[in-house]
Amino acid sequence: MSNSYFQKEDQFILNCATKYLAHSGRPTEAWRFPVISTYAGGATDFADPNSFDDFNEVTFIYAAPANAIPPSVGVVGTFGRLYEPLPLTRASFEGELTRYFSVTAVVPKAQKHLYRFIVDGQVLIDPVNPQQETADNGVVWSRFFTDTYGEPIVLERWELAILSRLVAHLMPFRTGDAKNFLERFYNYLDRGAKDAQFGNIYRLDDSVGEVNYIDNLLAREESHRLADYKICLSIIDQVLRQRNPYTEPSRMSVEIYKDLYNEMSGGFVQGWDYQRYSSPQFFLYLLRRHVVTGAFCHPKYGGNAGAAGWAYLEETYRKPSPAPGVEGDTYFDWRRSLEPAAGGRNQDYRG
Amino acid sequence: MQNQFDVVIIGSGAGGAPIAHELAKKGKSVLVLEKGPLIRPQYQTPNGRSEFKRDELIASGPEKILSLPQVANNGVSYYSSHVEPDLNDEPHVYRDRDGQDRATLEGYTAQVVGGGTQLYGGVSFRFSETDFKLRSFNEDRNDIREDPNGDVKREARDWPFTYDDLEPYYTKTEELIGINGTVANQLKRFSRDVYQPPLSTNGISEFAKRGMELLARQINPAQPIDPYRTPLAVITRDHAPSGRKVPADPESAKTSYVNRYGDPLGLKSSTWVSLLAPIQDLPNFTIRCNCMATRITYENGRANRVFYLDPSGQERSVEGKIIVVACSGIESIRLLKLSAALDPGFDTAINHSGLLGAYFMTHCFGGASARMPDRFDKSVALDADWATDCCSTTDFLRSNGLWAGGALYNNTSDEALPLSLFRTMGAQDLDTLWRGFMQSTGVRGEALMSYLDDNFGRGLSVSFMANQVPQRSNRIELHPTVKDKWGRPVAHILKTWHSHDIYLMDLYAECAGRVLRLGGQALGGSFVFEGQGASYMAENGLARIANHILGGARMGTDPADSVLDKFCRAWQFDNLYVTDGSAMPTSGSGNPTNTIEANSFRVADHLLTRI
Repeated sequence: MSNSYFQKEDQFILNCATKYLAHSGRPTEAWRFPVISTYAGGATDFADPNSFDDFNEVTFIYAAPANAIPPSVGVVGTFGRLYEPLPLTRASFEGELTRYFSVTAVVPKAQKHLYRFIVDGQVLIDPVNPQQETADNGVVWSRFFTDTYGEPIVLERWELAILSRLVAHLMPFRTGDAKNFLERFYNYLDRGAKDAQFGNIYRLDDSVGEVNYIDNLLAREESHRLADYKICLSIIDQVLRQRNPYTEPSRMSVEIYKDLYNEMSGGFVQGWDYQRYSSPQFFLYLLRRHVVTGAFCHPKYGGNAGAAGWAYLEETYRKPSPAPGVEGDTYFDWRRSLEPAAGGRNQDYRG
Repeated sequence: MQNQFDVVIIGSGAGGAPIAHELAKKGKSVLVLEKGPLIRPQYQTPNGRSEFKRDELIASGPEKILSLPQVANNGVSYYSSHVEPDLNDEPHVYRDRDGQDRATLEGYTAQVVGGGTQLYGGVSFRFSETDFKLRSFNEDRNDIREDPNGDVKREARDWPFTYDDLEPYYTKTEELIGINGTVANQLKRFSRDVYQPPLSTNGISEFAKRGMELLARQINPAQPIDPYRTPLAVITRDHAPSGRKVPADPESAKTSYVNRYGDPLGLKSSTWVSLLAPIQDLPNFTIRCNCMATRITYENGRANRVFYLDPSGQERSVEGKIIVVACSGIESIRLLKLSAALDPGFDTAINHSGLLGAYFMTHCFGGASARMPDRFDKSVALDADWATDCCSTTDFLRSNGLWAGGALYNNTSDEALPLSLFRTMGAQDLDTLWRGFMQSTGVRGEALMSYLDDNFGRGLSVSFMANQVPQRSNRIELHPTVKDKWGRPVAHILKTWHSHDIYLMDLYAECAGRVLRLGGQALGGSFVFEGQGASYMAENGLARIANHILGGARMGTDPADSVLDKFCRAWQFDNLYVTDGSAMPTSGSGNPTNTIEANSFRVADHLLTRI
């Protein structure tokens, strides 16, 4: 029996559970479960502070009905032992047991896992977490992924490829100085990379992880937007193939994407299937918000990979060098405030 | 579980925490009920990590879609903080200019231990001496502009105590909470200077400072009122009363993760770190978090029992000799109205004057913005650097036909971080985030770089915060049909701006604009003046609140003209007090938190004479 899991304090569990689960009816922000948070000790198997940043806490919460508390609740999953459940125990409030069962597992960052609850001997998927995957044998499992996950979750490779081209048109990272900067930045990271969370970068097709961020987002916090992407990317694929029957959409010219972007912006796209999706303009608006967020959000969300987006701003907006070999101050000293795990140099704030 | 206390306080923010602190330290048994979670700074948690983060997506999170068929903006997108309620669960509904109902995120201060004091930028003005006696100040005037029906003279009220009465409590607040600033050049009288020293300013603020100096000389060449450092509830030195220590470099508090961010280091002086954490181990103090008060019952002239839902959602109740309601203006009024709806005795008692919910106010606010010629690192900033009282002298008020004044100050953390720059493009309030950027489809590629070149680290805004004319018809009611996720009617906000408010806002917007123009011109370079305006102009101008939620249960000396007496006691109750912003008879010439806290300390002293 390994000590790879532990109990968070009651206050933490109640903080997570009450707002979202206490009332009867639809849970609020169901995507928050299981709760992924910063790991900083608590499981004896992961006691080396130097490696805390490689892991997340994953807190499973099961809210039993008030009048039917099961004698036991466990969780099994690919993160731990598939056949021996981790036991969940009830949180207390003012010395009394509540109906919230929980356990916190320690899971490496940049991983995706499947799990299920075992409630009084009955196997069931998480009744709250909307993320689900169906295994090859048709069995449905619940799913979670940890910070900086870098593999596609809900978008297909061809969808990601088209998105990357749209992103390239939207963001400035493929041009001139920016391109050089990013190439140097990633090469540096690749050579010196130690952290698990930076390990995936060289495999990303896009510039600073915007597309990866979008995929993560559509898998979890904004799953209500997945349909917009599926439908629109399918329509875009068709439109592009009509314009150039000889080339894969992801390899079509910059001009074709420029035209597409401008047409979407104006609301009229030749060949768009308006029956399936009534406003290409709206999808463009959505994409804009997602892409710019994916470029500059905290790296834990799977975008701004290795803080490349921030580093780009830091570098672009820098005072001239005051003396040979001396770097000018930057106008965006983000490292000053952020934690080392994200690339910052702040020694007080731990992230 | 203990169920009887000397004092039961609903709400752990600016209105409730000072009372909890004082009474618990004097040995009374105190229960604080707090609807939200307890989120602690990293030095208080078992694993040394806080759930408050320097992370832009925590302040304005993923998109949610409003699903409320009864309102006109059903289907709209909104982005809320992790400690704000989900509008689909608990909307605030206001009536817009066309008479339609809309949901808004504005008006929620935060649901977390510490309430709005966890998320606010920390601006901590005192109200001016005039602010406490606006009826007296205006009763003999005939020069008040844009007030054809004499509403100002009819509706202005003096507070039931003076600035001098409150002044020692301002001092107490500034000392116990932990506020930095400078006294010099403030027009208010300070018996003692207990401020911690301010941190260095952000370079961009120099334009604002210069502009304020020049504006002061335009207004009164003979005796200009120079600017002063905006008082901020952020500690810059070790703070003995709360036991907080600053980092080795106190300047590292300047991160621009300030407004709408809880502070993982506890340097922002929320009521949790400054007042409640220091007493949390007292055996006579209890705080129950994740507990929502649902109603208060009445018996024999007293509020006798507070019902609440525990974290499991189960109903419980407690009794208190004294009951204090301080769960943020709109929600306090709502709680009292819901209690009245469920208990006829409570109804008769709380509604004796018919003024519960009436005379609801926010602030007249707005400002101006410009892009300065030089770039600055705005990520190294707190919320505001310079402030001036030059536009709130009595001379200024009289010569401009204004009934009351306001403070001017420059913001520093706005648009400082990349996502905040993009999401506030063309939008200034919580209901219209992201829209401007999303629709500016031309801002892409090279044009996006140009946008950054022009705006990143170059935006400077000056805000004003001023008294709003009290109108009886501005009110909070229970909505007739929309209910929250627990099946309880939500708050219905009905308010309009008075013509004098519009006049005042235009005038102060011009002052803010002049600060930027004068400062920009004086310090050289070509800057771009972007505009000036006020909240009434926004699309949701009637909802815009800046989260200063005031009035609706005002204090007074006449039981027929107020809801509370001069100690914030509901007139017809022996033991029910309301101590958040809803108690204010007028809204004051600055951000309200400091005054709410000071008043709460004042009420605490009074309560100690009773129990």
